[in-house]
Amino acid sequence: MRRSLVAMTLVAGIAFAPAFAQAQSMNLAPGFSNLPKDATVVLMPADIELFSLSAGGVPEPKADWTEAAARHFRQALLAHNQKLGLRTVEVSEDAADELAEVNTLHAAVAQAIAVHHFGPLKLPTKEGKLDWSLSDAVAPVKKATGARYALFSWVRDSYASAERKAAMIALAVLGVGVAGGQQVAYASLVDLETGRVVWFNRMARAGGDLREAQPAAETVGSLLYGFPVAK
Amino acid sequence: MPARFARPAPETDEGGLWAIMDREERRLRRSPFALRDAKLRAYVQEIACKLAGEHCPDVRVHLVRAPLFNASMAPNGMMQVWTGLMLRVDNEAQLAAVLGHEIGHFLQRHTLERLRDAKARSAFGQFIGLFGVVGALAQVGALAGMFAFGQEHEREADTIGTTLMRNAGYDPNEAWKVWANLVLEIRARPGGESASPLFATHPPAAERQEALIALARDAAAGGATNEAAWGEHVAPYRHEWLTEEVKRGVPEESLALLTRLKERSPKVAAYAWARGEVYRLRAGEDDLDRALEDYRAALAAGGEPPEAHRGIGLVHRTRRQAAEAKASFARYLEAAPQAPDFAMIKSYLEELSL
Amino acid sequence: MRLLPIAPLLVLILALLAGCATVTKVETGEQAVGARLVVRLEGPWNRIDAPGMGPAQVWTMEGLPVDQLLVYPGIKNGELVHASTGGSAKTFAFRSSMQPHEIVAMFEGMMTRDGSQFKLARLEPASFGGGKGFRFEYSVTRRSDSALLSGVAYGVVSEGELYAMLYHAPRLTFFPRHRGRVEQMARSAQLRAADAAALKASSGGGKRDCMRNPVTGMWTGC
Repeated sequence: MRRSLVAMTLVAGIAFAPAFAQAQSMNLAPGFSNLPKDATVVLMPADIELFSLSAGGVPEPKADWTEAAARHFRQALLAHNQKLGLRTVEVSEDAADELAEVNTLHAAVAQAIAVHHFGPLKLPTKEGKLDWSLSDAVAPVKKATGARYALFSWVRDSYASAERKAAMIALAVLGVGVAGGQQVAYASLVDLETGRVVWFNRMARAGGDLREAQPAAETVGSLLYGFPVAK
Repeated sequence: MPARFARPAPETDEGGLWAIMDREERRLRRSPFALRDAKLRAYVQEIACKLAGEHCPDVRVHLVRAPLFNASMAPNGMMQVWTGLMLRVDNEAQLAAVLGHEIGHFLQRHTLERLRDAKARSAFGQFIGLFGVVGALAQVGALAGMFAFGQEHEREADTIGTTLMRNAGYDPNEAWKVWANLVLEIRARPGGESASPLFATHPPAAERQEALIALARDAAAGGATNEAAWGEHVAPYRHEWLTEEVKRGVPEESLALLTRLKERSPKVAAYAWARGEVYRLRAGEDDLDRALEDYRAALAAGGEPPEAHRGIGLVHRTRRQAAEAKASFARYLEAAPQAPDFAMIKSYLEELSL
Repeated sequence: MRLLPIAPLLVLILALLAGCATVTKVETGEQAVGARLVVRLEGPWNRIDAPGMGPAQVWTMEGLPVDQLLVYPGIKNGELVHASTGGSAKTFAFRSSMQPHEIVAMFEGMMTRDGSQFKLARLEPASFGGGKGFRFEYSVTRRSDSALLSGVAYGVVSEGELYAMLYHAPRLTFFPRHRGRVEQMARSAQLRAADAAALKASSGGGKRDCMRNPVTGMWTGC
């Protein structure tokens, strides 16, 4: 339940702002403009969950969709990064086990950024800047992977089931607008030397489909829009 | 016994469920709620293995820190045993009864059948840890109704479980006792039996106890309980699990459980101490007297937790019996110099000296 | 739909959706919290307000999903220490007769309603708000995301009311980063006499300071 509430938060936050990446400065930490050309980025295992919306709008996790989505997302991410000319490494499942606490820590920080930087509940002490750092908590990631930066991604995606679509149509006839599926996601780039979140993008929209390769590539493209790679 | 299960193709219904389970198992492995003591885990794994026979390689035991009676097995072979269950069973045979029952569901694919229903899937997911949080653990009881196996499946699992127990050399006559003991606890609830968190995936039917007794009767006589080995393996955790039980804040149920444990094993000081704590914290009429009695029983049994002295001290302090309070606090400080509340108890002692 | 005990974060999210949550800057310097409690800040904090968040003020430096400072400005006998929840979820109310142990157990119960786990690391007497109070350290394993948090708290019962500060944040990086300021704030805390609430707090002239000497363990001026 908490996960879907976080999803709702991201959506609510987005309601106050356009669905795509903001002006560059909002996505970038102060003093950071782009990755050095030869920097290695470790792709942390993406946290993805796909849901089906029942007729009543209750989200039901769909593991087979999630399985497919994870595969497509990963492929799309690798391809996109190759296009950007990035050097990437991935994390093995075993290594990921060891890094569980850092992952959890980052997820909490990412939620905070989503709610308090991109959302309407800005923290005055942050002075409008993307100013969050995990400090040396990220050291084990650097050690395990040898990378200079880490890219975290998180996606919650719901799709209207056939019953839901039928209900939507029926309600529309009665003049009631009801949301179909929604895709909320974030991508976060962390400097593994300092622990700073140097780039963050979040997305919430009604479209996107991670269950197929082509639309998954489009989702990744949107999510990584404005990714700060050296030109 | 059916042949070992092959991993289903990912696009199938079953494949999808396996994928969920696999992901949850990964999360569980990384979770701070998992109890990772290699020795204890290996011990329970061995028992599960003996029961599962040819399916042993497919069964993976995970111990989970949660103060409720629950064990479950997912279709992909992930088995969870909660520490609340390990506190409540008296010996290996009783644990084997529960695990054998779960393996029974697994072998007959009952869980899979049940999981085709969305609501059941949601409820089961919450025991397994699937869909995020099991809100307050107290809500587990409400979920039990939604997930429950039908009577036919329960009977089947009991039959298979009894057979597995017997084949692994355990006394099947221990099985019905597990449920009888649970029922005792449930009946102690002020609200009665409805929606008890203690039954998690298996709300009991009255006939189950009878059926289990009958099954034991029909099985060949004999079989081990291995109570001594069980006691040895769980002893290092008893204090922690008892502390968690007391913290549940459900005195009537805890009293039913702890009274049973204390009467069964009067030499184990920790049970007497824990019941004393429940009385002291409830602080109803006569409760403080009962608490003192229990603390003193713990002292008499020997090997008492230092907190028994603290408990006595706190009761006397409440009653403004300074001399007795001081003496007990002093014994606590002596026995537990590293206690988290050392400084606080020391200041109580000093106050009483003024 | 099962009823979850509502933690500040979830209330916030719901309030956010309803458009009625706000953030205020808490400035450096003296800050009054409620009618009697005054703390001195050596740097600004952020305070989150939303209906239904409970009797404590909720402050944060990094955002609620990361760190939370709960400031209790005088909880009366019988009052809950958290937002009231519908349904059968267990509730935790303060009683003026509570001893430090029992107050800790009360907060522990509050923080574990959602299945989180709490472990007390330290409990000791400490001066707080100029009175004989207590300080405790704890760790929490958060149920929702398995985050491992460290916490520190101060409390005192004055004229039958509970004044307390609880701060918890992930044990990695964030707790070490901010705990110093929390400890400093707690040490600076003062309680005005109830009828002097409207007067500016003086720097202590005429007030008796009840303090515990950390070396000798002796209480003076109480």
